[in-house]
Order: sequence, then C-alpha cells, then structure tokens
Amino acid sequence: MNEFVEQCRREWKRLRVPDVVAEEMAADLAADLAEAEAEGVAAEEILGSSASDPRAFAAAWAAERAVIPPRRSRLRPRTIASGATAALAIVAAVGAALVIFASPAAPAPATRLALPPTSARPVTVEVRSPGIWVADAKPAVWVTLSEAKGTGVDIQRSGEILLIVGILGMLVSTPLLFWASSPRLSA
Amino acid sequence: MAVSNGRRSQLLRGVLDLCLLTVVQDEPAYGYEMTKRLRALGLSTVGEGSIYPLLGRLERDGLVETYRAASNGGPPRKYYRASAAGKRALTDGLAEWRAARDAVDGVLGLAEAEVRS
Repeated sequence: MNEFVEQCRREWKRLRVPDVVAEEMAADLAADLAEAEAEGVAAEEILGSSASDPRAFAAAWAAERAVIPPRRSRLRPRTIASGATAALAIVAAVGAALVIFASPAAPAPATRLALPPTSARPVTVEVRSPGIWVADAKPAVWVTLSEAKGTGVDIQRSGEILLIVGILGMLVSTPLLFWASSPRLSA
Repeated sequence: MAVSNGRRSQLLRGVLDLCLLTVVQDEPAYGYEMTKRLRALGLSTVGEGSIYPLLGRLERDGLVETYRAASNGGPPRKYYRASAAGKRALTDGLAEWRAARDAVDGVLGLAEAEVRS
C-alpha cells in the first residue's frame, strides 16, 4: 500500500497541493492503511473502487478539501506580445489595402444608358424636374435622375487611420515582443 | 449483481455524510476508526468512493472540527468531530432522509403488495 500512498503524493505534487497539506494527507492515509492491513482488512474496504485508481482518489480528496491552487493564466507575456503584433500587422495591412484600392485616382465606372438605334440622330429632350423626357425616342423615354447614395464613410481616410494605428502599434509591440522573448535570469 | 451494487452506491452517496457525522457527533475519531464504527453498525462498505474526500468536504464546509493527537500506540492521527454546524446539518439531513425514505416506501409498498398477492 506504500505504492498507493506514493502515487497519491505524486498526484498532489502535480496538482501543486501545498507540501504541508499533502504530507498531512499522506501520513493519515498511510497510518490508516497500515492499521487496516494489520487487522487483516482489505484496502478496498477503506478505499472502495478508488483502490485501483490512486490518482483519481488523490485528486478527489484534494479537490474536496479545496487545497488545489487555482491555475494561473497560461498566456505568457511572449504570447500576448506576439498576438498583439500580429493583430496590429493585420490592421496595418487592411489599412494599406483600403488606401490603395479606394484611391480617388481610380474613377468609378460610368453608367451608360443604352438607347435604341434611333438615338444616333439628334433627339429632343425636355428637362422636367426631377428627370429628362426624351420625346423623340420610340417609344418615348423618361429618364429619372437621382443622387447616388453612399455610406457616408470616407474609405480612404479610414484606411489611412488604420494604417497609422497599425504601424504605430507595431512600433510599440515589436520591442515588447523582443523583450518578452529574451532569456532572463530567474530569482 | 452489478446493478444492485451500483444502486447501493448511489443510495449511499446521498447519506454517507450523515452517517459520518453520526459516528463522530459524540466521540471524535480518525479516518479508519470511522470506517470501523460504520462497519460495526452494519455499513461494511462505503461504495464506489471512500470516506476521505467526503471528510475533506465536511471539513471545508465547517461541519467537522479537526485536531491532531496521538492514537493508541500509533502515530499522531487527525481526529474529526461534528461541529455545532455539523450537528445542525445532521438534524436537518435526518429529517430530509426520513421524509424521502417514507415517500419511497409509500411507492415501493405498492410493488411489495403486488408481489404478495
């Protein structure tokens, strides 16, 4: 049964149960098992089905006693810095793409109105707000003029802002990344 | 037989804490000593688990008080005894157990009468 107690000890160590508490539990368990063995009582009568699973037994006992310290966040500074740098690089790339592709140098495609072949000759049009009445066309055409509706968002300006934010952020996060990656002496 | 053992374990799981509080309400005991007292009262097995995690929970919840003392000719042991809160929990739990037992008896009594007739 010493092996059972030793496996419990290892499990408590793995779970970072404080040494004092783990030692107390191990001592009590060892003493109880030794007394039972001396009286000819099987370990299963004391441990139940846990006798075949010391790790589960040890974990359950420690959990019920609430002596397992909460796990610290697994996110290390290096991971955080890497994630931030990557995210800012993406922001900068999106901003650059918007600046390039939303450039005013690229004119919006013109919309052409297909008129019947008869439109090759001069036609008389009459402007009647809010449209144009093409009386000569056969059949007559009524062209309505309307303002193009935009989103009201200046895409190019947004791209510039994203680009600047991304680049400035990377200028800050990249040194942090190198700092977090460099080996440090532990106390 | 496996089904029977499984049911017994399930039934015990809900009341084993009350059984432990009962055997230490008047006289403190260490872990194995409690097992012996339960066995002397007819509860020879504690089912799937063991009493240790349950003792840990009772201690955490303040239902038992603990202290270390030398045992008879053996190493120092951790003794448990029911605290005031533990005795109140025992009283409440006993009432719940009896109510549940009576209700179940009322239902299963019908099956028993059916088998006899």
